[in-house]
Amino acid sequence: MTHTVAPPSVAARGSRRFAMRRETRAALLFVAPAALGFSVFTLLPAIRGVYYSFTDFDVFQPAKLIGTGNYERLFADAVFWNALKVTLEYVVINIGFQTVFALGVAVLMHRLTQSMLVRGIILAPYLIANVVVALVWFWILDYQIGIGNEFLAWLGVGRQPFFGDQNLAIPTIAMVNVWRHLGYTALLLFAGLQTIPKELYEAAAIDGASEWKMFWRVTMPLLRPVLALVLIVSIIGSFQTFDTVAVTTQGGPVNATRVIYYYIYDLAFNRYDFGYASAMSVALFVLLAGVSLLQLRMTRANQSDLS
Amino acid sequence: MMWKRRRTLVVAASTAAALLLAGCSASDGGGAEGGASGDAVQLSYWLWDSNQQPGYQQCVDAFTVENPNIQVEITQYGWDDYWTTLTTGLVSGGGPDVFISHLNRYPELYTKGQILPIDDIVESGAADLSIYREGLADLWVGQDGKRYGLPKDFDTIAIFADQAMLDDAGITAEQLNSMAWNPDDGGTYEEVIAHLTVDANGVRGDEAGFDKSNVAVYGLGLNSSGGPSGQTEWAQYAFSNGWQHSDTNPWGESFNFGDPEFVETIAWFQSLAAKGYMPTLQIASSGIGQADAYGAGKYAMVTEGSWNTKTYFALDGVTTTIAPVPEGPNGQRASMFNGLADNIAANTKHPEEAKKLVAFLGSKTCEDITAAQGIAFPAVVSSLDISLKAFADQGIDTAAFQVPIDEGSTYLAPVANNWTEITAIMTPAMDAIMSLTADPESLVAANEQVNALFGN
Amino acid sequence: MSAKVPGGGMPVTALVPAPAQSSARLPSADVASNDRRRRRQSRLGRAAAWAVMILLMLVTLFPFYWMLRTSLSTNGALAVNSSNLLPAEFSVNGWKRVFGLATPEEALADGGSGASLNFWIYLRNSLVVATVTTVVQTFFSALAAYAFARLRWPGRDAVFFLFLTALMVPPIFTILPNFILIRDLGLLNTYLGIVLPGLLMAPFSVFFLRQFFLGIPRELEEAAKLDGAGYPRVFFRIIVPMSVAPISTLAILTYIGSWNDYFWPLLVGKAENVRVLTVALGVFRSQTPQGSPDWAGLMAATFVSAVPILILFAVLGRRVINSIGFTGLK
Repeated sequence: MTHTVAPPSVAARGSRRFAMRRETRAALLFVAPAALGFSVFTLLPAIRGVYYSFTDFDVFQPAKLIGTGNYERLFADAVFWNALKVTLEYVVINIGFQTVFALGVAVLMHRLTQSMLVRGIILAPYLIANVVVALVWFWILDYQIGIGNEFLAWLGVGRQPFFGDQNLAIPTIAMVNVWRHLGYTALLLFAGLQTIPKELYEAAAIDGASEWKMFWRVTMPLLRPVLALVLIVSIIGSFQTFDTVAVTTQGGPVNATRVIYYYIYDLAFNRYDFGYASAMSVALFVLLAGVSLLQLRMTRANQSDLS
Repeated sequence: MMWKRRRTLVVAASTAAALLLAGCSASDGGGAEGGASGDAVQLSYWLWDSNQQPGYQQCVDAFTVENPNIQVEITQYGWDDYWTTLTTGLVSGGGPDVFISHLNRYPELYTKGQILPIDDIVESGAADLSIYREGLADLWVGQDGKRYGLPKDFDTIAIFADQAMLDDAGITAEQLNSMAWNPDDGGTYEEVIAHLTVDANGVRGDEAGFDKSNVAVYGLGLNSSGGPSGQTEWAQYAFSNGWQHSDTNPWGESFNFGDPEFVETIAWFQSLAAKGYMPTLQIASSGIGQADAYGAGKYAMVTEGSWNTKTYFALDGVTTTIAPVPEGPNGQRASMFNGLADNIAANTKHPEEAKKLVAFLGSKTCEDITAAQGIAFPAVVSSLDISLKAFADQGIDTAAFQVPIDEGSTYLAPVANNWTEITAIMTPAMDAIMSLTADPESLVAANEQVNALFGN
Repeated sequence: MSAKVPGGGMPVTALVPAPAQSSARLPSADVASNDRRRRRQSRLGRAAAWAVMILLMLVTLFPFYWMLRTSLSTNGALAVNSSNLLPAEFSVNGWKRVFGLATPEEALADGGSGASLNFWIYLRNSLVVATVTTVVQTFFSALAAYAFARLRWPGRDAVFFLFLTALMVPPIFTILPNFILIRDLGLLNTYLGIVLPGLLMAPFSVFFLRQFFLGIPRELEEAAKLDGAGYPRVFFRIIVPMSVAPISTLAILTYIGSWNDYFWPLLVGKAENVRVLTVALGVFRSQTPQGSPDWAGLMAATFVSAVPILILFAVLGRRVINSIGFTGLK
């Protein structure tokens, strides 16, 4: 909306000011509830969280300021760094497999069938709570009597202690979540694929391009904005995994699945150490803010290209 | 059409508001309600063992008969959830009035002022400490000299063995009841375990050609790494090797996890897993629990606590024999000796009624009732016969659990401050050892961390 | 991944050689054999692709079937018949336990917990929480989104940027202080306590709807304003009817998210009368003696808690699936 340059007459200015005040009033009315929610439940807790991170707070008694003690403890805490490493390992495996598989599935659906039934089936795991998915897979992959291990034994591969082995636990949890989110991610990419005009594929086919070449030369470049969006959103979500760990391994064995979220929960509600847990949340926030800034930078770049 | 949209929105919004209001009014804190004493009072009682719930239900029913104005509602949360839910409950004021507590946990609770002392119950004569088994009542006196609970039960450790497998292996009852172990070669105990272990090809653990990577039946099962306590896993061996958790108990501040006696005990325990006679932690903790694995025929023997007896005897298709723990180098058949009690939440709205409940729960009347369930041994000495009869009626011979008591080789469960911190240090350390990914020598470093908690 | 990505605006012809150039005339025989080869290749390819697709659907559906199969077995038989694809010793006791129809003795005898599972209460709780959250949150977020999209007021862009930063804040950061706040307000273990933090707005909802509102042509609003309509009327009579699709999309996604939420209700709503299904499952899992789960009952419980959303999905299926597309393409 442009603003006129020449100063309007007094009467006109008055009416515009009246219009603006009415607009402002309406706007404030419209925004008020959301703003209230934001300030009380996002802004205020964030500030309080930072405050708690400088205190020793065991929830039962009032908080006591202790300066930077929690942060010093954080840097020296081997379990914290392990938690970061575990979380990163989880994110890499989860996002890596999820994106590749989802891309494959999306392309498959795009070229094979538009059936609602297929799409529905693929989406079904996403509708189930993380907790449910975790429990079902915990049962399927049970070492002694889970059908998954029975199958492996039948194949001759031998049983694997999926949730009990330090090296297998986090990849197992990562893959369980891949199972859950695959459908959703695939459908997102599928929607993106549908915006690519069919004529391009037909043109490429006439030229004798193979499916593979069509994928790399036509699909990928045009899909990149959507792919970027999907990746970043998935990564942020992936960093915050909690449900699956809480229900299956509770951070074990030997801290092999103690992801950051779970460590914070454990500190706050098992060890009554809210102050330290808050300091760790601040650390996680900083980490995620960095990743999110990356997201903003990328989506802004995409916006200018698309529009 | 636009009118309809607006109307639906308004309807939706008002439905939401109505639901909200309904929700607000329908829910309550879950804690105690009621007016002044004399009016009906509702107490909330929490426990974790669902096996014991029917017995306690009978108990509180009897309590309500004697005290018609006090209603008691029992809620059960599983062990994994129990303490976090309790914390939230204590923090929110919506927690229990009375709850079953554990020796490991109550120090933290009373130092944070979350539970009420009950000395006045004893002083008023409502509770008589002389009826309890020796040593149990004083475990619940804090370092501040105040008493926080009355003993409910006690437990010891013994061995559950699959009789069919014993017969197959030709192990006689006499052999079973006279096993001895030592940290060097495991003694006759390890011989029995090895003989009971069978691999997928039918080769026993002590025969040539035993394939430890393909075991069908483990001679000894594993529940968990045991953490700092090892109550059912390894404490009995360590005690009989002349070791205890800390310099004093209760309220020890200098721990002994780095001592050679302990390290060699754990080294031997780990060796069982390395040899394939016992599952590694990965295998043992990858799904079903020890009882189910035993019931499925994967374990020949397990070391277990007396509170689990009923669970094992309820398994279909398995006949279980109970044997005492093996004799150790110091000549003792040792066992950890533990007991539970009820604590009162400090934020209860009805302290007087809560104390009445606690007094009743700790009385002979109630312990007679719970003893008759045949699940745990009562702390009240004169109730023991009832419990033994209850077990006998189910065809269970619990003599093996009495052995450490009769021989005077019981060791009290460790009671100390900072137990959750100690657990956070020792559990990963023990987990690593029992997963065969760390040496028992790592316990020395872990012990230093533990002692550092106390400023040592 | 570099910040500069080739977007959709890039001319396509740069990537694929122009058809006209390469449709050089080939001898007819070669064309025929080319066609045949390509057809064979494509048939093989299609077959392979379908095989993969079917495998994928099997992997997706098998856990659902396994849930059902386990729930219809008895716990004792499960250990022994672990590789049987059919229920091991068919029994509906697991389902009875879930619905609270089994007596404690029956439950204990079957390896379950003596405590009853009040499924209907948990279902009611989940319904209340999800419905209230969805309706109220979507409503207020839509209001705010309109203010950001269409109205001019001082500080609008600054406030919107502030809202956006809320997108970046990880929930854990606000959850602990929010827990203390809810506790201090005395709202622990109440419905209000569970829904309150997300009740008035969600940054994603505001952002999403704002994008959509921006795309609505202004002429209709202008016309209404000339007729003397106030902003509320413009919003309710014009904007909302035009935005039914994205609003219902958002509502569906919010509902699913709220239904499946675990962490916050776990902290704030453990008491039975406000416990939602996800939390109830977690509690049920750890309730059985000695940590050995009551698998039959547990699987029945998981199945039951998944069913409401699956029903919603079956009814609204097309819309849900299409709505996924919407969120991908802002």
